[in-house]
Amino acid sequence: MCFLLNMLMHDIEVQNLVKTFREKGKAITAVDGISFSVRKGEIFGLLGPNGAGKSTTINMLTGLLEKDSGTVKILGFEPEKNWEFVKSNSNVATAYSWLSDVLSIRQNLRVYARLYGVKNHEQKINELLELFELKDKGDRRIIRLSSGENTRAVLCKGLINNPRVLFLDECTVGLDPDIADKTRGIIKDYQQKNDCTILFTSHYMHEVEELCDRIAFMSNGRIISIDTSSNLKKLIKKHTVEIAVKKNIKLLKEFLRTEGVDIIFEKDSSIVFEVTTEKDKMYKVISKIFHKGFMLSNLHVKGPTLDDIFIKIARQK
Amino acid sequence: MKIHRINALLLKYYYITINRVDRLFDIIYWPVLDLFIWGFTALFIQKLSDVNVLSMLLGAVILWVFVWRASQDIAVFVLEDFWSRNLYHLFASPVKLSEHLVSIIIIGFLRALATFVLMWIVGMVFYAFNILDISPLLIAFSVLVLTIFGWAIGLFVAAFIFRFGQRIQVMAWSVTFLLSPFACVFYPLSALPEWAARIASVIPATYVFEALRAAINGIPINQAGLLYSSVSSIILFVAMAFFLQRSFRKSRKTGLLVKGD
Repeated sequence: MCFLLNMLMHDIEVQNLVKTFREKGKAITAVDGISFSVRKGEIFGLLGPNGAGKSTTINMLTGLLEKDSGTVKILGFEPEKNWEFVKSNSNVATAYSWLSDVLSIRQNLRVYARLYGVKNHEQKINELLELFELKDKGDRRIIRLSSGENTRAVLCKGLINNPRVLFLDECTVGLDPDIADKTRGIIKDYQQKNDCTILFTSHYMHEVEELCDRIAFMSNGRIISIDTSSNLKKLIKKHTVEIAVKKNIKLLKEFLRTEGVDIIFEKDSSIVFEVTTEKDKMYKVISKIFHKGFMLSNLHVKGPTLDDIFIKIARQK
Repeated sequence: MKIHRINALLLKYYYITINRVDRLFDIIYWPVLDLFIWGFTALFIQKLSDVNVLSMLLGAVILWVFVWRASQDIAVFVLEDFWSRNLYHLFASPVKLSEHLVSIIIIGFLRALATFVLMWIVGMVFYAFNILDISPLLIAFSVLVLTIFGWAIGLFVAAFIFRFGQRIQVMAWSVTFLLSPFACVFYPLSALPEWAARIASVIPATYVFEALRAAINGIPINQAGLLYSSVSSIILFVAMAFFLQRSFRKSRKTGLLVKGD
């Protein structure tokens, strides 16, 4: 009963997934026995430095790459045995692979709509072109589009069949900040309206933080940690504080040293230092600075970000 | 196999054909140019001998189109997806390799048929040569056998593309030309030196062109040769389809399908 319930609740289940490539006679393990599951309606992020195994994982889940071992279940089915069902109910968008460049966006979408058996596809295509602000470019060939327009065309294809499971592999690369923000809005909106499950990879930490319910950090083909972004940020126990004073910068520096904080750098009238988050030490230090009578002209406190965790994990490699 | 997916891919290849001028050139320009070159050559030789050179050469040129187009279209349409890095999206969709191939085979045959009709008309208008006057039954049989043989070559090349990627793309244009001297398209098997005749005797197309010449010259057709050509073309086609399937699987294993280069 519990197993059945688990099966129904998770749209993506991965157990001990392994993929090894051979290069010049040498075996390179790209994905090294990873396991994770994504709940129905969840946006799950895969984060990690280049070569961590994120895209290889997505390629195996979409059936484009054959796994060496392990089990994968999408919508409760093993894809190898039920490709037609799994692929009809899922889709993928990546910035690294184009649609057919000889065809226009509209022609490509017509082809994919038919491949996925979409009914009333002209209406669906018009809706998607409108949504991604490509209506006036619909009849332009892919080869004549900018990289941002190409990325949006691929996203149109990704939503053409109203997928229940969507794989988004660095799908916002090349988009300007405005369009990237709108695209994140569209993804979030689509996910909420359709209760869609999304596996998302990106190098943009703020994007992952904004969209993903949970995040798996990958490094060297392994998953280092899976958690929410707020819990992951707790792994970094330091805040960065930037203080600018009108005068007495040397005194402030001496004071900070006596408090045992790490000064990162100082410039003109500013000092940037790191202070541990344990036992409210940061608040105590700032409070003491005020009580000592330093005249502050600027105070900026930066909590740990996913970037910090990303850098920490990447450097542990 | 699902008809709607095959239709979707046929639509894609139709779009490629109308969007790319060079794909239209394949159907119109090169075959017609070939017909003019061989037609004028034949008219010149005709004056020097009593043999019906015009019918033999033009008939051969028109029929060779089926081998040429059938093989090259499979290879080039597979390459189109590599060139545009589109294999990723194509095979992430529910499409199966078999549906992909059936659609390429159909579009290839339709394109070859369009070329055939065009050459048939050009042959009649410029040289008063009607290929169907030879023997409609023999021409229909030849078209069928040569198309299957062409598909087999196309599958062979496509299998190599899936296995090794774009670096062997030159095969798409060269394999058919490599075979043509040994397929006895423009001259009889007896005209070849012994070593070349040995190679020619195992190529299915050889017996089709031998039969064409026999029919034009009013001599008995080698029926055993035609039987060999049809059976061996079918066997070759099935074997190449399996080879392609294995290569496709290999490309899923090595990651070439994802990288597409």
